[in-house]
Amino acid sequence: MASPVAQFQIKTIGPELHVAGMDISFTNSAAFMILATVVIGVFLTQSMSGRHLVPTRIQSMAELSYEFIANMVRENVGSEGRPYFPLIFSLFMFILVGNLLGMVPYSYTFTSQIIVTFAMAITIFVAITVIALVKHGFHFFTFFFPSGAPVYMAPLLIPIEILSYLSRPVSLSVRLFANMMAGHTMMKVFGGFVVALGVAGVAPLAVLVALTGFEVLVAVLQAYVFTILTCIYLYDAIHLH
Amino acid sequence: MIANSVTRWSRRVGLAAAAAVAAVPSWAASTDHPGSGGGLPQLDATTYPTQIFWLIVSFILLYIVMSKVAIPRIADVLEERQERIEDDIETADRLRGEAETVKAEYEKAVADARSQAHDLVRKAMDEIADSHAKSEAEAAKKTAETTKAAEARIAEQRTQALESLKSVASEAAAEATAKLTGLKVSDAKIGKAVEAAMQGGA
Repeated sequence: MASPVAQFQIKTIGPELHVAGMDISFTNSAAFMILATVVIGVFLTQSMSGRHLVPTRIQSMAELSYEFIANMVRENVGSEGRPYFPLIFSLFMFILVGNLLGMVPYSYTFTSQIIVTFAMAITIFVAITVIALVKHGFHFFTFFFPSGAPVYMAPLLIPIEILSYLSRPVSLSVRLFANMMAGHTMMKVFGGFVVALGVAGVAPLAVLVALTGFEVLVAVLQAYVFTILTCIYLYDAIHLH
Repeated sequence: MIANSVTRWSRRVGLAAAAAVAAVPSWAASTDHPGSGGGLPQLDATTYPTQIFWLIVSFILLYIVMSKVAIPRIADVLEERQERIEDDIETADRLRGEAETVKAEYEKAVADARSQAHDLVRKAMDEIADSHAKSEAEAAKKTAETTKAAEARIAEQRTQALESLKSVASEAAAEATAKLTGLKVSDAKIGKAVEAAMQGGA
């Protein structure tokens, strides 16, 4: 029987591709990233193709996801967040669909890869820092010293603030990756119990049913958390506290 | 610094995961551990370039589809609906305003008609009362006249009766005197005597 973490293995599909000494072969992870993109693209364009004034169910879903993120950006970033809306919306849909596709049996969860979540988080972190620097110049560095704090606290506060700022991409990526990995590992372990216990496997099967529901919740929740934290960081970059 | 903390962290996760895997019963464990070190597949750095590459490819693709097609399309539909709703609300507001004007006009007309009717009724009642009073007064006058005339006639007839009674009495007295005494008393004397008797008796 396979190890509960064997499901996270990257497997090459098709020929191996090497560019500049790096292996960029198409893999199961890549397949699901592309699949997520296609699913989102088809869902959001085809559901809206009717352009119904009174939305159909599927159109309503597309509109709800749009309005959900639009409200999130408006409430957490403000009107300055409008230019970043397509990016944040894409980010949310990508993580959400990635997480949910991972819930389909035999599929692959690319959000359970630390490198994927970290690449997204570090890109967001760098982009947001650049936005803040462009917008505020050197004034940006006052971000690391809360206004109103006594000056003699600076030696303590500034390192803490810098550390907390630098840990943002780590916490952002690890939160998503760890949640997805833990959930899928747990499901695999319980799945193993079901097979191994035979008739008595009904008990872990019941747990597995509950876990599946829970994991769907986690999939949605983690996509939401990742996106809203991005919004909050963006707010900080634009408004500096 | 970030990279340091990440690797440090990954090492920790790797250890934790390895511990977790070790804790899994032997039947669930596997001897098949490809990748580096037999740890978590996520920590196999050889898979990083391909994952980052395909992440970039798919995310850029997604971003283009979202920002060029999907988002404008959804925004269009939502805007159209918003406009339609606002239009409808505006029309409804206008119609309500019109209805209110009509209602006010109607109410005014009703109030006017009512006050007119009230006036008419009052006028009619006044007229009726007037004519009633007039006819009553006329009737009273007529009655009074009739009564007066009747009273006058009665008085006249009474005097007449008294007159005739006087002559009858005189005649009777003359006859009675003549029969009883055989005397012929003059009419003047008898008349005087009758008058005296009548006045005394009266």
